[in-house]
Amino acid sequence: MIASVPPSRALWWQRPFRHADGVLRGAAWAVAGVNTSRRRRVATLLMLVFGFGALYGGVMGGFAGVTPDRWLQMTYSAVKVPLLLLATFALGLPSYYVVHALLGLSRDFGDAVRALLATQAGLTVILASFAPVTALWYLSVPDYNLALLFNAAMFGLASLSAQVMLRRFYRPLIARDPRHRTLLRVWLGIYAFIGVQMGWTLRPFIGQPDIPTAFFRQDAIGNAYEAVWNIVVRVLSG
Amino acid sequence: MASRWQLLDHVLRGEATRGDQLVTGELSVGARQLAPVLVALGGLYGLCMGSFGIIRAYSTEGMRDGAVTDAWLQVAATTVKVPLLFLATLVVTLPSLYVFNALVGSSLKARSVLRLLIAMLGVTLAVLASLGPIVAFFGVSTTSYSFMILLNVACFGVAGVLGLAFLLRTLHRLALAQDAQDMQRRLDASRKANAEHESMADEVVETEAADTETEDKDEPDASSAPELRAVKAAAKRGTNVGRESPLQLIGERTDGRAKAVFRIWVVVFGLVGAQMSWVLRPFVGSPDLPFALFRERESNFFESVAGAIARLLGA
Repeated sequence: MIASVPPSRALWWQRPFRHADGVLRGAAWAVAGVNTSRRRRVATLLMLVFGFGALYGGVMGGFAGVTPDRWLQMTYSAVKVPLLLLATFALGLPSYYVVHALLGLSRDFGDAVRALLATQAGLTVILASFAPVTALWYLSVPDYNLALLFNAAMFGLASLSAQVMLRRFYRPLIARDPRHRTLLRVWLGIYAFIGVQMGWTLRPFIGQPDIPTAFFRQDAIGNAYEAVWNIVVRVLSG
Repeated sequence: MASRWQLLDHVLRGEATRGDQLVTGELSVGARQLAPVLVALGGLYGLCMGSFGIIRAYSTEGMRDGAVTDAWLQVAATTVKVPLLFLATLVVTLPSLYVFNALVGSSLKARSVLRLLIAMLGVTLAVLASLGPIVAFFGVSTTSYSFMILLNVACFGVAGVLGLAFLLRTLHRLALAQDAQDMQRRLDASRKANAEHESMADEVVETEAADTETEDKDEPDASSAPELRAVKAAAKRGTNVGRESPLQLIGERTDGRAKAVFRIWVVVFGLVGAQMSWVLRPFVGSPDLPFALFRERESNFFESVAGAIARLLGA
């Protein structure tokens, strides 16, 4: 059974997990108006993104070891993972609104944003559930490049799994107007386009062992697509 | 303590996972009750695992300084490490299992998932501990380190396969029990609706009577096992596909997906367990190396097993 009301009777430490469970199962409270005020609902979802995102980020930044001087890297990454997701989300919203308005669907925009935000929260929960696996990977494979690839794979897997939730949250909207299906694809395009650059700008997440800890890389200003293109050219030209 | 071992026996005999025990959709196996038994069984196997090092150390005494002390330290470490290996593997794999289980909308709650896995570990560790004497015997009578490694890998493999088979079977039974329960609930509801309908409209009493008769015929015998009921329910479902409510269809699809999640997880659990054993090594303890709680980060489980096979075959 899916709880239609947010779990408020649970103990304080149980509550985030109950909320996470609800989001994963596509609980109605996450998107539709039941009992709680909209603002409180959005606050809950944001807390989930921050909490579970920080959990994965903390583990992600632990590649170089859990020594006092690397402690900072873990903290930075714990802050940066939720930042990455939310900043990408926020930057994409204006253009998404304009597309809604152009199609005459601005009435549904609020519901659409809540569905997307709930999916973001679910994505971080999935990501956090991978955290122990990532820790085991760090413990057993000391290669930095493989750590990079492994994290990319975890983010990819979490994003793919989150599609299940996104479709569940979007179902009422698509039932209302089939054009929401197209809009959703537009959103995924916008989100991916911004997300790649955002991930590049917010480097480092993992922390290369032989480079000192930093919140941002000194050479962070640059273009992800340009950088990837340069790498491809370098590989192709030998 | 005795009741705890009885509980394990219950699980092993499959009495805790019989159809009629599962009608509530949950296992009656307490995680906290069974946990000490699991630790004891793991420790027992750890002792057997370490016997090789002890015998080797005494028989080659004087060849390396401190070899005997090292061997005893190794036994102590292994006794702790075997239960730790299973616990750590569970900690690493449980969050993602739970998340995907919830994501596909399975009806299993967090506590049910945990109990299911504890029962699975009970079977795995019982099998493992039962193989312990064999390992101890070979440990006393063999001089080949590579052989001991492979023998232990084989024992863990057998125990793991049996435990995971138990998990999948129990999951299947849980689904059947739940199906039977859903069916019963729907039957009750429809009978109640029928009764109300009858009292309201007396003129259609004949057709209604015919309806309730067919309902009664379908109604499962209360004394028969839920599994039997489930079979009947499944048979009924097969003939009445067109009359399924959309909600019911969704439920069935998600149960299928939950099973797929568990099947994938079984593979993940095996891989993570293997790699975890590598991270926590040494277990057997090479006779030539000094004692260490853990070894350096290098290589991986699968490469090392291939190496042990090659060495054993004299390559």
